[in-house]
Amino acid sequence: MAGLDDILRAHRIIICAGSGGVGKTTTAASLAVHAALSGRRTMVMTIDPAKRLANALGVRAVGGIGSAVAVDEIPREMLSAMMLDQKGAWDQLVERHAPSAEVRDRILNNNFYRHLSQSFAGSQEYMAIEQLCELHDAGAYDLIVVDTPPTRHALDFLEAPQRLADFLDRRVVKWFVRPYFSASWATMRLVNRTVGFLFRRLEDATGISALVEVSEFFTSMSGLFEGFEPRVRRVYELLRSDETAFVLVASPEEQVLSEAEYFCRKVRDLHMSLRAVIFNRVHREMTRGRHAARAADIGQILRQLVPDEAQAASLAENFARYEILGRGDGLRIEAFRRLLPKDVAVLEVPNFNSDVHSVDGLRAMHPFLFAA
Amino acid sequence: MKYPAATLFDRRLLIVAGKGGVGKTTIACALGVVAAQLGKRTLIAEVDGAGRAAYLLGVQPGAIGEARPVRPSLSVMSVEGSAALAEYLEIILPVKRVLHAVVSSRLYQYFVAAAPGLKELMTIGKIWYEAERIDESTGNRLWDVVIMDAPATGHSLQYLGMPRAAHDVFRSGLVGRESQRLLDLLCDPERTAVNLVTTAEEMPVNETVEMYQRVRDELRMPLGHLFVNRTHHTTFDAATLDRLERQLPKLRDPDVRAAAAEAVNRMREEMGWSSINRTYLERLADEVRLPRSEVPFIFTEEFGVEQVRVVAAEIGASLIPAARRTHKHGRS
Repeated sequence: MAGLDDILRAHRIIICAGSGGVGKTTTAASLAVHAALSGRRTMVMTIDPAKRLANALGVRAVGGIGSAVAVDEIPREMLSAMMLDQKGAWDQLVERHAPSAEVRDRILNNNFYRHLSQSFAGSQEYMAIEQLCELHDAGAYDLIVVDTPPTRHALDFLEAPQRLADFLDRRVVKWFVRPYFSASWATMRLVNRTVGFLFRRLEDATGISALVEVSEFFTSMSGLFEGFEPRVRRVYELLRSDETAFVLVASPEEQVLSEAEYFCRKVRDLHMSLRAVIFNRVHREMTRGRHAARAADIGQILRQLVPDEAQAASLAENFARYEILGRGDGLRIEAFRRLLPKDVAVLEVPNFNSDVHSVDGLRAMHPFLFAA
Repeated sequence: MKYPAATLFDRRLLIVAGKGGVGKTTIACALGVVAAQLGKRTLIAEVDGAGRAAYLLGVQPGAIGEARPVRPSLSVMSVEGSAALAEYLEIILPVKRVLHAVVSSRLYQYFVAAAPGLKELMTIGKIWYEAERIDESTGNRLWDVVIMDAPATGHSLQYLGMPRAAHDVFRSGLVGRESQRLLDLLCDPERTAVNLVTTAEEMPVNETVEMYQRVRDELRMPLGHLFVNRTHHTTFDAATLDRLERQLPKLRDPDVRAAAAEAVNRMREEMGWSSINRTYLERLADEVRLPRSEVPFIFTEEFGVEQVRVVAAEIGASLIPAARRTHKHGRS
C-alpha cells in the first residue's frame, strides 16, 4: 500500500474532503508544507483558515494569492496559498461569465437574485472547482492541495457542479425564461392540465410581479451560462483523472464516521479515487500495547513518584479518563478500517492540545502523516 | 441581559445553532430532556440529520416529518425540506388525485430541486407548523416547546434568513403572507429564542461571535442562551508535573517509565485544553452577551443515551433554580 508521501508524489491535485470541524484546513495546509519541503512547487487553496494560519501561509485578502512565510527549508516560491471567497461566490460567477456589463448589472440588481442568490445551490463548491481547473491548466504548480468548503455533507462538494448544472438545466430554465405573458405559456397552460394547475397555484403563491422578476432573472442567466455543460463535464473529467487523489479527513466520532463511510462508497460510485483517510484528534489507548501490565498499575507507580496523595490520584484519574477515550477511538477506527478497500492508506494524528497555526505547527503533524 | 432562567422553557420555539461538530444535537436533546422533566410536552426537531437525535434519545428514528415518542412528554422528529413541501401541499390541496398528479410530475421535481430557498423555507414552515399545531382531541397546543436542532452555522443562517428573503421577494402572494407568519414567530422574543452552542476553541468561537452578531443585527431574531460544550477544567499544578517529568529518566523499568510518561502527557493535554478553554471562555464573555452554561467534557468510550442524561443534568442545574427542579410544573 502506498504511503501518503507516495500519494502526494503521484498526483498533481489532492482534494481534502470531510465534514465540518474535523481539521480539513489544517490538514490540507500540512500536506502542502510537506510537498513544498520535498521540493515540489505547491499551491494550497484554502477556505476559512484561522487568522494565524492565514498569516502563516501569507494570505491576507480573500481571493488573493500569497506566498507562505519563508521558513528555513522552504524557499518562498515553493509554497503559495490562495484563499477562496465563500460569500460572494455567485457574484463572482456572474461577473466572470456575464457577456456584457449590462447583463451583469441586470442580474446583480434583480430583486429575486439579490435576496435569494445565497441559497442557489452549490455556487461556492463550483467556484472552488472552477478555480482549481484554471490553476491546474495554467500549470505553474507541481501540486495543488484543495481544502473543500464546509458543507452539510462531505459529498456536497462532489455533487455541486452537477447540481449547479441541474439548476441551470434548460428544461427548468425554459419554464421561467418565457416572458410571463407570452403566448406559449398561455398555450401550455391550456393544453396541460397539471402544468396549468401548477402555474395558477404558483401565481397565487408568489404574486404576478414576483413571477415576472423570476422570469427576467432566468432570461438573463440563460445567456450567461451558455456552454456551461461542457465546463461541468471538464470539471468531472479532472476530478476523475489519474492526476487527482481524494483524501478524506475525519475524526473518530460516531457521526463523523457514519458520514465518512457514506462518502467513501460514493466517491467510488462516482469513479473518483480515494487514496487516503486521515483521522485527526485521535486518542490512543495504552493498555492494549506492550505496556498493558504497567499501565494497569499506574496509580501505584504515580504514588511512589508524587508525594502529594491527592495529586497522584488526580494524575491517575486523568490517565484513566484518557484511556477510556482512547479505547473508544481505537474501536471505532478499527471498525471503519475494516470497511475500507485495502489500497486506501489510513493515518492517525493525535489530539494536539495546542493550536496548529504556524508553519512549524503544521510540520508537527508530519511524523504522524509521513512516518516510513 | 438576565432573564429568570426557567423562562427559556416558556418559549415555544428554541433554536439550537452552532458550528459543525460542536455538539448541537447533543445539546438540543439534553434541552429536550430538561424541558420534558419540567412537564413540558416537548418536540425535538432535527433538521437534515441522519436520525442522530433519535439515537441519542434511545429510539429508532421515525419517518421524516413524523414525531417519534421517546416518553410521554418527549418526542423526536427528522425534518427535511422536500418532505415538508409535500406535506404542506397535502394540507392546501385537499384533492388527493390532483396532489398526486402534481407531486409526481417531472416539472414539479425539477422545480423543487432548483427553486432557490424552497427547501429552507419549507423546513422553517414545518417547524412553525409544529410549534403552532393544535391537538384536535383536546383543543390545546400539541407541543409546549419545539426544539430545533439547526444545521451548521452558515446553513443555519440560510435557513433562518429565508422567511425574510421570501417575504421581501414575494410580498403580495401566498408565499409572502405565509413568510410573514413565520417571521412573526421567529422574531417574537416571547415565543422564540435562538440559542448558540460552541466549544471554547478558536474557530468555533469565531463562528459563534459572527453568528451572534448576524442573528442580532441581520436576522433581528431574539437570542436566548449560550452553551459552551466540552469544557476542560483541570487545576493541576504545573510545577508538580514538571518535577514528575524530571524524575522519569530515573525510572529503570521501561514499561513503568512509559506508563508514567504517558500519565504526564495526558495531564499536559488536559492542562493544555483547560488553558485554551479559559482563554476562549473569556473572549465569549466579552463578545457574546448572553446568559451562559458550561457543559464539561465527558470522558466516555461512546457517546449515547447515558451521556445525554449527564449533559441534561448539567444544563438543568445551570438553567433552573433548585426550587423549581423539585416539583414538576404542568401547563399554566
